[in-house]
Amino acid sequence: MSRSVWKGPFVDSYVLKKAEAARESGRNDVIKIWSRRSTILPQFVGLTFGVYNGQKHIPVNITEDMIGQKFGEYSPTRTYYGHAADKKAKRK
Amino acid sequence: MMQDDRIVVGAISGAYGVRGEVRIKSFCANPEDIETYSPLTDSEGRSYDLAILRPIKNGFSARIAQIATKEDADALKGVELFALRTQLPALPDDEFYHTDLIGLEAVDTGGEALGSVKAVHNHGADDLLELLRPGSSATVLVPFTRAVVPTVDLEARRIVIDPPEGLL
Repeated sequence: MSRSVWKGPFVDSYVLKKAEAARESGRNDVIKIWSRRSTILPQFVGLTFGVYNGQKHIPVNITEDMIGQKFGEYSPTRTYYGHAADKKAKRK
Repeated sequence: MMQDDRIVVGAISGAYGVRGEVRIKSFCANPEDIETYSPLTDSEGRSYDLAILRPIKNGFSARIAQIATKEDADALKGVELFALRTQLPALPDDEFYHTDLIGLEAVDTGGEALGSVKAVHNHGADDLLELLRPGSSATVLVPFTRAVVPTVDLEARRIVIDPPEGLL
C-alpha cells in the first residue's frame, strides 16, 4: 500500500537541516547523510549528497528527475566490477 | 581487463547444441555489438570469425568459422575474446571509454597524487570514478563531472581532480 498523500513525503529532519544549511552557505560541499529512506525533494536539486551505503558515502548529485525517489536508490550496497569492454562514461 | 592495446569484449561459455555452435557471453554495453568487432582473438592471438545466430539465455548462440564440431566448441569453454582498442568508434568530447579511464593517475589541482582510477560506476545518477588511494587498499568515489574532474589528459595518462569539501 502506498503512503497516504496527506502525510506528505517522508524526509528525516536532519537531512532537511543539512540541505538548508548547505544552500544558505552557497558552497557545493558533499552533504554526508545516513538516511537512505528519505525522499528526494525539489529543494535538494543541485546539491550533492554523500549517501551512506553501509561502508562509505556515495556522492549523488541531485537532478530534477530524481525527485520523489529515495536516496538509497542511488547508493547500492553491493559493488559489481564487470568488464570495461566498450562501455562509455560521460562527463557532465 | 586490458592487455596491450586489446580489450576483453566477451567470452565463450561452451558449446550450444551438437552442430558446433558456441555460447557467447558479451561484455559490451550493447551486447549485440560484439559481432561488429569480429574477427576477435584469444589471449594467445588465435583469430575467431564470429557470427551471432540468435539470443539465448545469458548470451548468444554463435557460429565461429573455425569451429565445426561440438567437441571443438567444448574445447573453447572459458576462452576470453579480445578486440583491438582501435576498433572502438571515436567518441564526442566529454565521453570516454571506461577502458581508457581505468588506470589513469589522479592528481589534485596542486599536483598532489590522489590515486589511480580503479573502476567507473554508474548507479543511476552521474558516472563515478573509483580512485584507489596511494599506499592503501581504500577507495573513494568521485563524481565524473566537469566541476570535479576539470581535466582528463589521456595522452599524459592523468586526470586532475578538484574535490569539493567532504569528498576525500
